[in-house]
Amino acid sequence: MRTGLDDVTFDALFRECASDVHAYAISLLGDRPTAEDVTALAFERLYRSRSRLDRRRGTARAWLFAIARNAALDELRRRRRQPQCELEEHRPLERGAARDSGGGWQAALEQVERRAIVRDALSALPLRERELVLLKFHGQLSNAELARALGISESNAGTRLHRALTRLRAQLLELDRKEVA
Amino acid sequence: MRIVPFPGHDGASTEETWLAELDAALSGADEGPLADSWRELREDVRALAPPMTADFERQLAQRIAERRSHRRTLKVHGTLTRWLHRRGRPLGAAIAAAISVAVVAVVIAGPSQSGPPREAAPAPAFRSAPSASSAGPASAPARVQQLGASVTLTATPSEVQTTADRVARLAVSDGGFVQSSRVQVQQAGTSEANLMLRLPSERLSAAIASLERLAPVRAESQSLQDITDAYDAARRRLADATAERQALLRALSQASTQGQIDSLRERLSQARTAIAQARSALAGVSRRASTAEVEVTVLGDTHAGSEGLTLHRGLEDAGRVLTVTLIVLLLAAAGLVPSALALAALVTGRRAWLRYRRERALD
Repeated sequence: MRTGLDDVTFDALFRECASDVHAYAISLLGDRPTAEDVTALAFERLYRSRSRLDRRRGTARAWLFAIARNAALDELRRRRRQPQCELEEHRPLERGAARDSGGGWQAALEQVERRAIVRDALSALPLRERELVLLKFHGQLSNAELARALGISESNAGTRLHRALTRLRAQLLELDRKEVA
Repeated sequence: MRIVPFPGHDGASTEETWLAELDAALSGADEGPLADSWRELREDVRALAPPMTADFERQLAQRIAERRSHRRTLKVHGTLTRWLHRRGRPLGAAIAAAISVAVVAVVIAGPSQSGPPREAAPAPAFRSAPSASSAGPASAPARVQQLGASVTLTATPSEVQTTADRVARLAVSDGGFVQSSRVQVQQAGTSEANLMLRLPSERLSAAIASLERLAPVRAESQSLQDITDAYDAARRRLADATAERQALLRALSQASTQGQIDSLRERLSQARTAIAQARSALAGVSRRASTAEVEVTVLGDTHAGSEGLTLHRGLEDAGRVLTVTLIVLLLAAAGLVPSALALAALVTGRRAWLRYRRERALD
């Protein structure tokens, strides 16, 4: 039975997920205007179809990211080019500084370097696997929700995620080895 | 040396276990260095994305609020419309379809005006028979036909006699006559009347229609027999007899002896007899063509009613309407089900195609 999404729940979902949807979109597409368009389109479509939400088939968050993913893929298909990831390097430093409670500048520097390696490792992943990792981490989706967003079975989603993160791990180790060398 | 911690796992862990550990770590349910490593990786990935600007966030919130207020306006003014759009549309379509089916069924079934279904009567070809006395040349190839009909009426046992009398009066009023009749009325058991009518052929259709209005018709049939050959033969016979008499008269005017005269007069007498017989035969064939033989049977039926509804008739009508309704529904299903299946296949195929195209964007 469809339960729908009332206005209060929709507002809560917006407050909770708007930044995550935007982060996913900009990480995948690479430029801010397009990411903003995709984010707005995702919430627009969610609002239009909110009466059709069937909670037995997935959470509202998974549904939102499925819509956002489709919008982002439509944009990719229209552009037919690899996104240029221009990420701001000062952000990790700011976040690291906010998290550090006692490590000081050395811990913050390590964080910046670590995140640079993570960024490079992500960029080296094939687009399909990179998109999966971004969806998992920005969307903060469980494996079941991830499967719902991808429109595939849970076991299939788990297999793909395992493969993507394993490859990411290999990339990180490789980059770290080069860095050390 | 800098070590980039990455949540590893021993080779013995299954994929399911690994995924469960990942979810537990990311949700904060798990503790330990492995879980910490997962959470740190997630935060590193999330930190790489530029945040949403305050302007955009404000614009997005405003846009959603505007849309909601617009929808609320529609809700105030169009509650019923929205209800119809949401829930009533399928219900309304179902009701309209049911009414349509019922109307079609009633139209096809039609109201019952008599009892059980009647036999289909063939349409006779009515042609006016040529005059029996005319012996002139035929200007066009006309067929001479003898028409007949049989009608079975039903009446209550007490009305059999009355109905038979009405049939007889009707025959006379239509310019015909009753050739024979037999009426059998019983207090218990069946009552029946049989009448053989002779009616003008050109008025046969009207007469049958009048008979049908007297009582409910149980059965009806009409027949047609072509008697052109018999008619032509009778005409030729008369013409031959007439021609022979003319020849004998010419011979008599030229006879010179008494013996010839006596012989010719004898033959003339025979010729007059032959002419009379030929005329009689021709008149008989003509009479067959000009009058139709109609057999009328009046059956006494305790369930028969001359007019008005009875439970029996109502049940029969209801059965007929239900049968036609079922047929109409089956026909509709036969047409709609393949269309619905084809539409479903199209929709499913379109969705699969769209999804395939989207996934290809990642390749």
